[in-house]
Amino acid sequence: MPLRVDPEENELRALRRVAIWRRKRVLEIGCGDGRLTLRLARLGAHVTAIDPDVSLIAKARRARPPRFANRIRYQVGKAGKLKFPRQSFDLVIFAWSF
Amino acid sequence: MVHALREAQRVLKPGCTLIDLRPAISHRRVGIREGGSFRKLGTVHETFDEDRAADRAVSYALRTGIFKLEAISKFDCNRVLDTADEFRDWLSEFADVGSPAHERLIRQVKDAYKSARGRRRIVVHAPLVMRVLINQATKSGRRLTTR
Repeated sequence: MPLRVDPEENELRALRRVAIWRRKRVLEIGCGDGRLTLRLARLGAHVTAIDPDVSLIAKARRARPPRFANRIRYQVGKAGKLKFPRQSFDLVIFAWSF
Repeated sequence: MVHALREAQRVLKPGCTLIDLRPAISHRRVGIREGGSFRKLGTVHETFDEDRAADRAVSYALRTGIFKLEAISKFDCNRVLDTADEFRDWLSEFADVGSPAHERLIRQVKDAYKSARGRRRIVVHAPLVMRVLINQATKSGRRLTTR
């Protein structure tokens, strides 16, 4: 079995405590291979997830379960130059990337 | 990094939340979990330069009123690996594997894993810090001022 990150889901519990995620428009900056993105989608968020690494975005897209196709959007992008309109997200998360 | 925070503020609705989630500035502990117990073998030595720079950027954003700190918490985030080779691969992604300290740690992990019995796992304990920041901009994009 490959590397498991946070199998106890402490991270998910902590995120659940600090915000309501259901139906929120969330921008995840530094999504990597999408590990946390899937957890945010499980909380009910609509996630736009960006990372500067093209290969990681490709990996994340491949691993996206079909049931989250409408709820997760992966894009190549950098934190310093966000290509989104102003005031377009309810939550922004810097995930291990800042 | 301050620029990244300004960009985050621009795309975030006024009064909404930014979460800064990243590893705490503390060396990760590595050990073997055997049955229910954890045996520490060593630590991963890191420099934390980028983390300190990120902390300074957040401090700046708070000081200048771009964001307001609502909450801060710390919790464990573990990584679980099945073999010493997996541990070495993971370590090589961010640490200096050629360093004597890390080579020694890899050897220790290999030996301990070999000698452990039954269901055993390599575990890396890494605390995470989560800061919850509130966007202080108004709808017009101007910053709220506090008296």
